[in-house]
Amino acid sequence: MISKNQIAFKNLFRKKARTLLTLVGIMLSSWVLVSLLGFNRGYENALNHDIENMGYQLMVMAKGCPYEAATMMLQGGTGLRYIEQSMADSIMKEPEVAKVTPILMQAFFDPNKGTSGGIAGYFGVDPATFPAMKPFFRFRQGGWFRDPSAAEAVMGYEAAELEQREVGDMILVPEKNVQLKVVGIMERTGSQDDGTIFVPLKTLQKISGIDKITTIGIKVNKDADTAELENKLYKLQDVQVVSFSQVKQTIMKLISTARVMVLSIAVIAIIIAMVGVINTILMSVLERMQEIGILKTMGAMPWDIFRLVWTETLILCACGGIAGIGLAVTFARATDVLVRRILPYAPSGGLVAIDARLALLTLAIIVTVGLLSGLYPAWKAGRVRPLESIRREG
Amino acid sequence: MAEIVLEARGLTRVYHRGSEEIRALAGVSLSINRGEFVSFMGPSGSGKTTLVNLLGCLDNPTDGDLVLAGRSIFDGCKMLGERELTRVRREVFGYIFQNFYLIPTLTVRENVALPLAFYRKPGADAEVERILNMLGMGHRMEHLPGQISGGEMQRVAIARALVNRPEILLADEPTGNLDSKRSKEIGEILQDLNRSAGLTIVMVSHNPELARLGGRIVEMRDGQAYEV
Amino acid sequence: MENSIRMNIQRMTNLIFQSLLLFLSTAMPAFAAVGCDLNDPDRDVARLFPDSSGYRTFYASIDKRGGEPLLRKVEKRLGDKFHGIYETIDVPYTVYEVYSGKKKVGYIHGVNQKGQFGGIQVFVALDLEGQIKSFYIQKMTSQWANKLRDPKFGRQFMGLTLKDIEKYDPVTGKGPGRVADLKNPAPEAETDFRAALRALKKNLVLMDEFVFSAKGGNP
Repeated sequence: MISKNQIAFKNLFRKKARTLLTLVGIMLSSWVLVSLLGFNRGYENALNHDIENMGYQLMVMAKGCPYEAATMMLQGGTGLRYIEQSMADSIMKEPEVAKVTPILMQAFFDPNKGTSGGIAGYFGVDPATFPAMKPFFRFRQGGWFRDPSAAEAVMGYEAAELEQREVGDMILVPEKNVQLKVVGIMERTGSQDDGTIFVPLKTLQKISGIDKITTIGIKVNKDADTAELENKLYKLQDVQVVSFSQVKQTIMKLISTARVMVLSIAVIAIIIAMVGVINTILMSVLERMQEIGILKTMGAMPWDIFRLVWTETLILCACGGIAGIGLAVTFARATDVLVRRILPYAPSGGLVAIDARLALLTLAIIVTVGLLSGLYPAWKAGRVRPLESIRREG
Repeated sequence: MAEIVLEARGLTRVYHRGSEEIRALAGVSLSINRGEFVSFMGPSGSGKTTLVNLLGCLDNPTDGDLVLAGRSIFDGCKMLGERELTRVRREVFGYIFQNFYLIPTLTVRENVALPLAFYRKPGADAEVERILNMLGMGHRMEHLPGQISGGEMQRVAIARALVNRPEILLADEPTGNLDSKRSKEIGEILQDLNRSAGLTIVMVSHNPELARLGGRIVEMRDGQAYEV
Repeated sequence: MENSIRMNIQRMTNLIFQSLLLFLSTAMPAFAAVGCDLNDPDRDVARLFPDSSGYRTFYASIDKRGGEPLLRKVEKRLGDKFHGIYETIDVPYTVYEVYSGKKKVGYIHGVNQKGQFGGIQVFVALDLEGQIKSFYIQKMTSQWANKLRDPKFGRQFMGLTLKDIEKYDPVTGKGPGRVADLKNPAPEAETDFRAALRALKKNLVLMDEFVFSAKGGNP
């Protein structure tokens, strides 16, 4: 026996090229849609992850200092401004504050990197307070330094890989030609820390000849009023307060315009694909008028014909949608790379996060829109009168 | 005793083309008994196709009535909608046409089973293979229409028309697209169905040889029917 | 009936796959270990091969080219074992095939080497016979790095082939032939000098294994 669904399915094979082209159209538009939705989620998740990885929620730095160590690297070590280390102690006294850690960022020029040299970045951190801020750091080899003025270093995963360093090896601070012993190499964190070299604060201060710091990392008490604390900190002289929730908001605002634009593109892509669907199904109905008439002579009710044509639409949209989602998942990494090239700031980690729920949502959208598009052709098919259609040939 | 299965009472059909009025049928009355094989002949425009369409409930008359096994279908000027017409059709009729109209993506077996997807008369199961074998198409069941000849396609169409055990088979120029040899074969099949299975057949044909197979010929001229 | 549906599904799938193949691009190899690439290939290839018009990049690794047996062969030819967590069997080696028009004119290849204070990246530009045209240290961390990265030092290697360095022992730092004539311009950085020579030998051995010995010179 044959069922109505089988009839609908087989009808799609009549004009294979046409069915395939329509499928490709749906596939591409669902690929775009699910990637965009995945990106929306992924970006925010990755941003949150990056911020969580910082370990502290607020940073106090000298006015004029850029946010990221990476940006600092690009601009070179000069132009950094400093704050007094005593400020860290006074901030610690605030009731909202759980922990503080003083950090000194320095960069040195290494003329032997490539043809025109490069910057090597170092973080001077307090071994008593910094590791506690980042309890999720895992070590590939070794561990943190204990002595605050030891000539030692802990390297991020990629920094160690580039220098082919293992625990026990020496590194050389360029410009100053000071040797440090590697005591720890970290596992990948997926953040900027992977490319950082950590040195005890006092050691870096001695190497640089500075007794100040550039940043204070602040961890806020669990239920404290962050806004209140921020207000207090704003009042401090010559410093700027960087709140990561603010940073996140700024970045999200920056890309929200991009998101809206890109989502509009996705919507347009879907509309175009659906127009293709309407065209395909309508054309196939018009080509099959006589056949539809015959089906009616066999006892097919108008609703049966409607259902038949609508089922064809459903199959097209479902298959195209699933194929598009499958492709999106497969090429999620490639899409990741593409997106990173375009955006101004891209957090580390997977940018395009497509999970089952998102996939189902996209499929539901595609199928729903498809079914709506299929209403007219299906209705038209249902209304065919056998006599008119059979007589069409003359 | 001869039982009247189909009766036309003053069937009239008027078409409007713009402002022009065309009387395709002018009050035709006739009756067909169960087990008869009636052929309608006549030149183009004589109304034979119009009459057969009305007899087969493919159309609504402008005036007149059709009585099917004692039941009045159009009862005065009642215009039946598609759904009602379909219900009547599937209970009583099987149709074959000049152009076969098989679905190209379905096999022979699936094509014949097609009506069952929409409506299954009680007791119509397992008919598909039996009918195909009976019509000599048992060895072609998994073929596609594109792989069989014209004569074979029409046999499949006949099988499809029979699968729901119709009381009346309506054939509109069934051999119009076939050569003389195949036409003869189809004619013999129809004759056989009529004689051994007692199937009532109403046929439209240009082919006098084919028409003579039935035993009763009605000639149509200018919208009127004349027994021959 | 089920058969024809399966047939149709297969037909549909074939069609879809054939068209997808058109869109699939060659995937970038995703290696676990870190390789050694030119910082700016367009600029560097042109500098090392002045009359080149273009280049093609391909990747090779010991585990994909021959696995454990190849590793042992390379270690034997090198005269030293592979050390540490970075010199592993799955390290991807980038080979640049340099072209002048349609004609291949040579190769560029770099290897990572552990130096005293950091990683050393040693590149060689070879002609089609495996002779060194250029010796280039892309990166080195040392107070005396500039001496080893001086073009004068690099010129000592021009014209050398694997034969000249084959008998050099990287462990003891001694060897016959032209290598013995090589001068160390920075005696304070003896460790790094020796590391650079080890890197050079490893570079040439790998090039021999991946390119020159493999199927008559074509990788």
